[in-house]
Amino acid sequence: MQGNLSSFDWGRPEWRQITPLILLLVSSILLLSARLSRGRLHIPGYLRYLWAFLLVFAVADFVSFTPAVWLLAFISFRALREYFSLVDLRLEDRLGVMGAYVAIPFMIFLVQIDWYGFFIVSIPVYAFIVIPYLVTVFDEDGRGSLLSIGMIDFGLFFFVYCLGHLAYLAYYSTWLALLLLLSVTLCKLVSTCCTSRGRLVGFLLGLPAVVGLSLLLQPWTDVPLVPAVFVGVLIPVLVQMGERTITAIERDLGIDAGNLEPGRGRVLDALATYLFAAPIVFHYLRWIMKFGESVTGHGA
Amino acid sequence: MAPELHRLSRLIFHLLLLRPLLHLIFGLNVRGTENLPARGPFILAANHNSHLDILMLCSSLPLHMLGDVHIVAARDYFERHKKLFTFLDWLFRPVWVDRGAGGGDVLKRMVEIVDAGGILIVFPEGTRGEAGVMGRFHSGVGRLVGDRPLTPLLPAFILGSERALPREAALPLPVWQHVSIGPPQIVQGSGGDITRDLQQSVAALGRSETAKRQRRREERRQAFVVAVLGIDGSGKSTLARLLAEDYSVDQSTCLIGDELMLFADGAQRRAQPLLKEKLRRWLSAQAKDARSLAFYKIPKISELLLRDALLGEARRWYGPDLVFMDGSPLLNMTAWSTLYRNELMSPEFCARAIEILSGGGQPNDPLYREFPELKAIKRLGLARLHRPDAVIFLDVAPGVSMKRIFDRGEKLQVHENEEKLSRLREAYLLVVRALNENLNLPAFVLDGERDQLTIRDEARCLIDEIRTGIGEATS
Repeated sequence: MQGNLSSFDWGRPEWRQITPLILLLVSSILLLSARLSRGRLHIPGYLRYLWAFLLVFAVADFVSFTPAVWLLAFISFRALREYFSLVDLRLEDRLGVMGAYVAIPFMIFLVQIDWYGFFIVSIPVYAFIVIPYLVTVFDEDGRGSLLSIGMIDFGLFFFVYCLGHLAYLAYYSTWLALLLLLSVTLCKLVSTCCTSRGRLVGFLLGLPAVVGLSLLLQPWTDVPLVPAVFVGVLIPVLVQMGERTITAIERDLGIDAGNLEPGRGRVLDALATYLFAAPIVFHYLRWIMKFGESVTGHGA
Repeated sequence: MAPELHRLSRLIFHLLLLRPLLHLIFGLNVRGTENLPARGPFILAANHNSHLDILMLCSSLPLHMLGDVHIVAARDYFERHKKLFTFLDWLFRPVWVDRGAGGGDVLKRMVEIVDAGGILIVFPEGTRGEAGVMGRFHSGVGRLVGDRPLTPLLPAFILGSERALPREAALPLPVWQHVSIGPPQIVQGSGGDITRDLQQSVAALGRSETAKRQRRREERRQAFVVAVLGIDGSGKSTLARLLAEDYSVDQSTCLIGDELMLFADGAQRRAQPLLKEKLRRWLSAQAKDARSLAFYKIPKISELLLRDALLGEARRWYGPDLVFMDGSPLLNMTAWSTLYRNELMSPEFCARAIEILSGGGQPNDPLYREFPELKAIKRLGLARLHRPDAVIFLDVAPGVSMKRIFDRGEKLQVHENEEKLSRLREAYLLVVRALNENLNLPAFVLDGERDQLTIRDEARCLIDEIRTGIGEATS
């Protein structure tokens, strides 16, 4: 590439396409070296999932959105499977749990065919009506059914519906999804660095960093200036709320965040904050950008 | 097909189909692989809840061991499906057991496998049983290890298969499987001893695995409430405390006396502060300082009502196994009424008053006319006092109790004189009779002029007897 830095055109479409690949390459090297270091280099779980999402988006950009969205379905399945392995379910709840698993391909298909109207009500309306029924079908006694319904519905909402929002965001634009993921990652990295100084310091340092990132990525995300700043403020707030919620849930599920075993909180711990922030960011951007009405995504 | 070809095809099946599928659908987390010997012979004994167990155990072993693995399986169950039987016979080369037939041949075959350096996977429970419940181990494995004491015996615990594919279910549910392999056991003793030790090791692995899982709030235990009654200076507070401390060695207990105390593991435990408790202590102090019975009555009744409410709070917040009450608000109020209407006293009268105060009774009971206070309490919605499950009355002559009160050196309360105390004692005895005869509630009179520890032991015997009786009746 020729020319000095001042003539560098940040908004050129090649850079917009290649940057996710560069990020994927960097994170792959990082993960590989962590694996080869045999524990000396510790990589937090959320970076593994950032890598997975980068891979999915690379598939979406360079192959097709369809395989990418089904890879997201697999991530959703893994997360939901881990959640159901952790909660205290009864034998009678099996049908309800099956129903929750079935909701994954159903919802992902709606994203794939861009049927927003049905996607947005599929889980809150249909699944949340059907699953309580399924839980009670084989339940003669009824005791504990409300708790089971709550547990299954929460898992479905969080690990399927919220992930569906991320998938939809990626459907509209890879960079919008990346804005969300990179911002959340940045927040988590800053708060990890400031653990000893408390949550507030982490939040206050993370806020300008995310606003800066949001403005920096503006030429690629196409979010106007004011909404870009707003998203930059919104995400750290959501991350703070998410961290608090997830910590409480982890404690209830008996997840030892310091020693995460496979199947005992690894996916939940890594993925939860991304998922917590996804729906609200998606709705804000959809509202501002009027995606689906004026702007079309991968499906166009 | 040559045996080597069989071996290779089995390996390929495990490597390319079974293991990837299990990881994809369920997810498998294996702990304790470092406990596995480098090669056979060894015996892996695990709990059994599901058909998935054998797949999970095989997938937990290193690939190079798979060629030597044999399982022990029930012929009568699998023979019903001919194709499945042939397939399993090829994949796992089981030692087929005919349940109900003698085990001599099976044992011989297992010994042969072990002698040839093979790896045996056994499920000593024999059947899948109830999901998540470990049944009694059969002694076959103990006898085998008894025959070959140098063969390493490894306990293993599988968690998750009871949810993924329990006996009752037709379709598997994708949930994580955790296999935990324990260190080789050092065995000694007879076959029965070895089996028992093995079951304990598997159960211990299971406890550490299941401890990592979320538990729903346990069903609320209904605490057993013992009320210790007695006139002032009879030593009822001391007895209640001694009992609470004594029972706390293996159970959690709560003492509701002048102050509320919790005990567990043989020591006092810090109690979460309750507002009602603070209010009650203030009222109690007011009653103790009262100059006449009229000034004594209102704070005392309020204190008693709060003491009863405290029983509900203690059950709700602390969830103890046993509650010891220094006095019972219900019975104290009934007995105290005699101080005002001595002429009315009879066991029937007491029983009716107890019924009314604990939320029962007839609406037009003539008792209301005699006792307007009772009507007031009922109207205020306060007549919902708890009935204790057992009552102990410490009987002490009023003279002795007066002497004890003087010896304490505390300020005398208004009712603390020999005449009133002897009337109160008679009232309590009447209440005890009413409880036993009219209300069918176990109430005992103990001689309170003996050594405190002797009384405690006697009381404990009585309480244990009642609790066992209740336990047997409910089961």
